[in-house]
Amino acid sequence: MGLLRVAGLFKAFAAIRAVDSVSFEVQPGEIYGLLGPNGAGKTTTISMISGLLEPDAGEVVVDGTPFGSDPQKAKRIMGVVPQELAIYEELTGRENLEFWGRMAGLSSGDAKVRASEVLAALTLTDRAQDAVKTYSGGMKRRINLGCALLHRPKLLLLDEPTVGIDPQARLNILEFIRGLRATGTAILYTTHYLEEAEVLCQRIGIIDHGRLLAEGTLKELQERLGGDRLFVLEADLKDISPDSWAGFHQRFRVIQKTERQLVVSAIGSRDPSDCLKELLGLPVRVENVTLKRPSLNDVFLQLTGRDLRE
Amino acid sequence: MNPPGTPLTPSLSPSDEEKASAGRERGIFILLRVLLAKDLRRAGRNPLPVIINLLIPLCITALVGLAFGGKSDGGGLGRIRFAVVDEDKTVLTDFLRGAANQRQGGKYFEPVFLERDEAFRLLNDNQLSAVLIIPTNFSRNYLLGRAGVSLELVKNPAQSIHPAVLEELLGAVVTALNAIARNLQSEFPDWQQVFEGEGDYKQVAALIERAGDKLKRAGKFLNPPLVLYEKEVPADASKDQPASAGKPSVQKADPGSGIFGYLLTGMAGMFLLFLASNAMTDLHREIRQRTFARYHTLHHQLSPFLASKLLFTVAVLLICSTILLGGGGLVFRVAWRHPAALAGLALSYAFFAAALMAMLVALIPDERKAGALNTVVGMALGLAGGCMFPPQGLPAFLRDHVTPLLPTFWFVDTARNLQYGSGDVAWLSALLKLLGLSLVLLALSALLFRRQFRAGGRP
Repeated sequence: MGLLRVAGLFKAFAAIRAVDSVSFEVQPGEIYGLLGPNGAGKTTTISMISGLLEPDAGEVVVDGTPFGSDPQKAKRIMGVVPQELAIYEELTGRENLEFWGRMAGLSSGDAKVRASEVLAALTLTDRAQDAVKTYSGGMKRRINLGCALLHRPKLLLLDEPTVGIDPQARLNILEFIRGLRATGTAILYTTHYLEEAEVLCQRIGIIDHGRLLAEGTLKELQERLGGDRLFVLEADLKDISPDSWAGFHQRFRVIQKTERQLVVSAIGSRDPSDCLKELLGLPVRVENVTLKRPSLNDVFLQLTGRDLRE
Repeated sequence: MNPPGTPLTPSLSPSDEEKASAGRERGIFILLRVLLAKDLRRAGRNPLPVIINLLIPLCITALVGLAFGGKSDGGGLGRIRFAVVDEDKTVLTDFLRGAANQRQGGKYFEPVFLERDEAFRLLNDNQLSAVLIIPTNFSRNYLLGRAGVSLELVKNPAQSIHPAVLEELLGAVVTALNAIARNLQSEFPDWQQVFEGEGDYKQVAALIERAGDKLKRAGKFLNPPLVLYEKEVPADASKDQPASAGKPSVQKADPGSGIFGYLLTGMAGMFLLFLASNAMTDLHREIRQRTFARYHTLHHQLSPFLASKLLFTVAVLLICSTILLGGGGLVFRVAWRHPAALAGLALSYAFFAAALMAMLVALIPDERKAGALNTVVGMALGLAGGCMFPPQGLPAFLRDHVTPLLPTFWFVDTARNLQYGSGDVAWLSALLKLLGLSLVLLALSALLFRRQFRAGGRP
């Protein structure tokens, strides 16, 4: 059984279903990515799991105990990293870490020791005595993350921890989180960055409009598209429908069609060169055909008809 | 960053678990101490809001002190120097001149008797607060009951308080002269003869006797008087003045205590609410910065967090109270009769003010909207509670049915009774009521915040 189990979670704000029957599990030592655009319901889901919000329906089970039956017990083994920088700018990095460590239940001495460890791990030791307001965005993000780690939580909830920082700082944080996984921490990681979910998460749930549309490993999600290759055909496709091409839908699955581009995957295991020949033989003036590996964006595209990057 | 797993996350050893467990078992007082220490440290790094909070009572006290003086021995106003220009020069005006030089009057007033030109010269040199002119034939016209009899007061435009006091005083004198004229009108011709030196001692004796009779008959209308100033003699002071002394006990008047003790307690009642609102903006800041929400993801109740904010605010308010009541008391030479009880009362009122503002934050977490509400609530509670005006002057319904229920009234009324009452003031009851209400408000604010979190609001 997973360290975190979410079953049929539901939350509505007036007529808007922010989270609609979402279910998933996170195992110890696993990073589970909740991928979706802004407003998909990721933060609402994390808020319900962390006890900030009360679900309208559904259940959250943490380490075998329903959250509702003993919230304090569940909270003790959790660490929550909010999307906003919920830290004290007037205090130093060390003081922030020590304070949140004390709040998490550590003694004064333990909080000091752990703060030093976390500062070292986050490579912030040399700035430990500086006020957080003097930090760069990436450093603040690291402190924001570190504040949830003092008590060594078994379950870590990360709500878009890399929002608004530069690529290098993001890579550092991702590397750090990957290391946490190695120690057996179960991590729920929400993001709208495809690349993060692809490189970081063992399993990914794709969420949009409050609904979990699909979940699985990256490979499993890619296989939903029918293989490990996609064909991108560029042509003038205005006023042309693939439906008019005889037998096309028996051989290809349309992932996306625009006026200039058609993205398809082959149905069945066929030789790519045969597929290319078939596409070049279509009754349109083809300008270019390329092959690519399917990405999570293609999966999202297939599931929602929209580009996650839009 | 360091290779993950090695420094940051060593495997949990049993001793670590035990230590963490022991840490979690720490009591609520340790939690409060850590929260409070955090707030104090933050305040130390960004002291401007606290300094502003402390400056407000300092400025108020200093401004009132500058306006009213406070340096003279005779009380807060100092002696008021004014000129009397007697152009009538009769026995009656001599009598009026003499009245201004009485022992008690002389303590507060310094009349100088000058000719008109000299008086105006000194007024222009800002050496006088006003010039009182008794015009020619004033006595005659007054005793003959003619209309349009007037005294003339020329105020010094360079001064504000002292001329205003003299104007009020002259108003009282005129009222008294009118009252005498209405009651002794029939005697005036005889009195005029006496003042003009035409009456003999028998006539004077008869006049005095008749005036005495009239005053006796008017006694039931004058006693109790419609307007009363009462200063009770403390019980212990009465003991010190035994009847065997054979003289009427004269309580030494202390206008500084009389006026400014009253004012200071009212000001404290009002301004501590505003100062509490200012101090409690830190809770707004915690909401805005999402640190309050982060705290709520931990395994603690909301109440300790709110209680720490309350304690922080109370600490600020106590310093402000000390400045207002203690500093103001020194400036205006107010000898607080029950300082310990007053301090306890101020402490409980600080708790109430802080808890009220915490609840208002819970009601309206948005800082900008809350600012307007807090001001209105503070003003309403202060005014209706009798902080700025004597409760007796409030509309009857408010005074009889609303004011007694207001915590501002519990504080202000009890504090004033402590200062001016006979000593049997139920200040402990007021203190307990204020503390009890604070606890209720704190619990209510925790409940409101919890509801808002659950509902998905952004407290």
